[in-house]
Amino acid sequence: MANDWLFLFPEKVRALLSGLPANLLARLEEVRVREGRPLEINYSGKYHFLCGNGSLTQQPAEAYKPSREDTHRLLDLISNHSLYTMEEELRKGFITIPGGHRIGLSGRTVLSGGGVEHLRDITGFNVRIARELPGIADSVLPYLVERGRQRIMHTLILSPPQHGKTTLLRDLARQISTGSTAGRDGSRPGLKVGIVDERSEIAGSRRGIPAFDVGPRTDILDGCPKAEGMMMMIRSLSPEVLVADEIGRHEDAEAVTEALHAGISVVATAHGKEVAELARRPGLGGLLEHRMFERYVILNRTEAGLTFRILDGQKRGLLLITPDDHQGGERRA
Amino acid sequence: MLKLLGAVLVVVAGALAGFTRAAQYADRPRNIRGLIAALQRLETEILYGYTPLPEALHRIGQQSKGTLQAFFTAAAEEMSPPLNRTAEEAFKRAVEQHFRSASLKGAEKEIIRQLSCTLGTSDRSNQSTHIALALQQLKQEETVAREDQGKYEKMSKSLGLLLGVLIVILIF
Repeated sequence: MANDWLFLFPEKVRALLSGLPANLLARLEEVRVREGRPLEINYSGKYHFLCGNGSLTQQPAEAYKPSREDTHRLLDLISNHSLYTMEEELRKGFITIPGGHRIGLSGRTVLSGGGVEHLRDITGFNVRIARELPGIADSVLPYLVERGRQRIMHTLILSPPQHGKTTLLRDLARQISTGSTAGRDGSRPGLKVGIVDERSEIAGSRRGIPAFDVGPRTDILDGCPKAEGMMMMIRSLSPEVLVADEIGRHEDAEAVTEALHAGISVVATAHGKEVAELARRPGLGGLLEHRMFERYVILNRTEAGLTFRILDGQKRGLLLITPDDHQGGERRA
Repeated sequence: MLKLLGAVLVVVAGALAGFTRAAQYADRPRNIRGLIAALQRLETEILYGYTPLPEALHRIGQQSKGTLQAFFTAAAEEMSPPLNRTAEEAFKRAVEQHFRSASLKGAEKEIIRQLSCTLGTSDRSNQSTHIALALQQLKQEETVAREDQGKYEKMSKSLGLLLGVLIVILIF
């Protein structure tokens, strides 16, 4: 099961990648394949090119350059030899494969009526390797539970791309859904969690079955547009907590407002570094202005590890959790 | 006595050779027809079913008969894990394994080869165009094959038998 994504690559590239040291493979985040240009890998926030003999380099000229044959085979394998089943995915520009890994595509777009209709001559691939990190939310979750009422507070998780928003969100969903028997605040029952998984990233569903552990009381609407999905969830699945990734558009904000007024806790993520920055964005500004969220978690990943900053609804700092603190100790920010 | 037995054997051998040849003339149009039906089903699977290619081929294999069943099942297996070959390679191998015994000739091979290069590599409307083209070409081949059958099937049978008789007459 580990490194199942390796089987996606054509032989040559697969051989190069599986030749990498195991501890590096375990930390690998992205593999970028561009036809005729250096093969790039990213791990721990740094990039490297991969040479034909398996060593790493910073010099593009020395690196292995995937051939047309390589990219063709890669596309053939990720589409299960059937590109025609991927029309919707091609329009969105990415394919999610079993295991929840997401592959971003670049190529030439074919337009129809001004919108992107199709992607052809696909020559660029960004394979983002999804990982489960059970326990990553351990230190955050206690601050999102309202004391006494066993309710999850409306939470917005903020970070730039590639800092682990989705991973944190996934673990939050799992822990909220599972509940706990021996928490700091005593036992907490599991809650009904509804995940609107527009990009199949949170649960990594394949044929409706989640590839990741998202908890026993979790329902997933897979591949559903967020705004519509949130409304569907509210109407039909009676969730106590709604989970959505990367909200940002006007419709999303409306749906979140709807959920909040329906008494459902919302845990969502958004791209951004600071809360203030977010307030200026057209879609989310209103939500922040009306103080819809009660908690903000700001993620930042450095080489040392993850840093969480937790703010309350008035954007006052509550807590800073640094990599050294993950074992249990925390300090006030 | 032994001579007579030999003569009978020669005549029977000649007749059998003739019948085999005739059977090939009869098989070809039948198998082309089967291929046409299979491709039409493939088109439906792609256009309306969004079925991935390996699964579609496997299904078509199950619905086909005889050699074509083996042909499509083989192609589907070549494309599935762990082999994971491309459609082009998978069909090439399957054609090599099974087309000879199905009395299918170079023309059909070429049509399937051309189709296999594009199968699964484009959107649905494009797939449909390519399959339609292959179908049209196969229908032409079918007409030719039927004409051949009409012309040569009976002739091969009689020719084989007569050749056997001729050899017997010449030897005696």
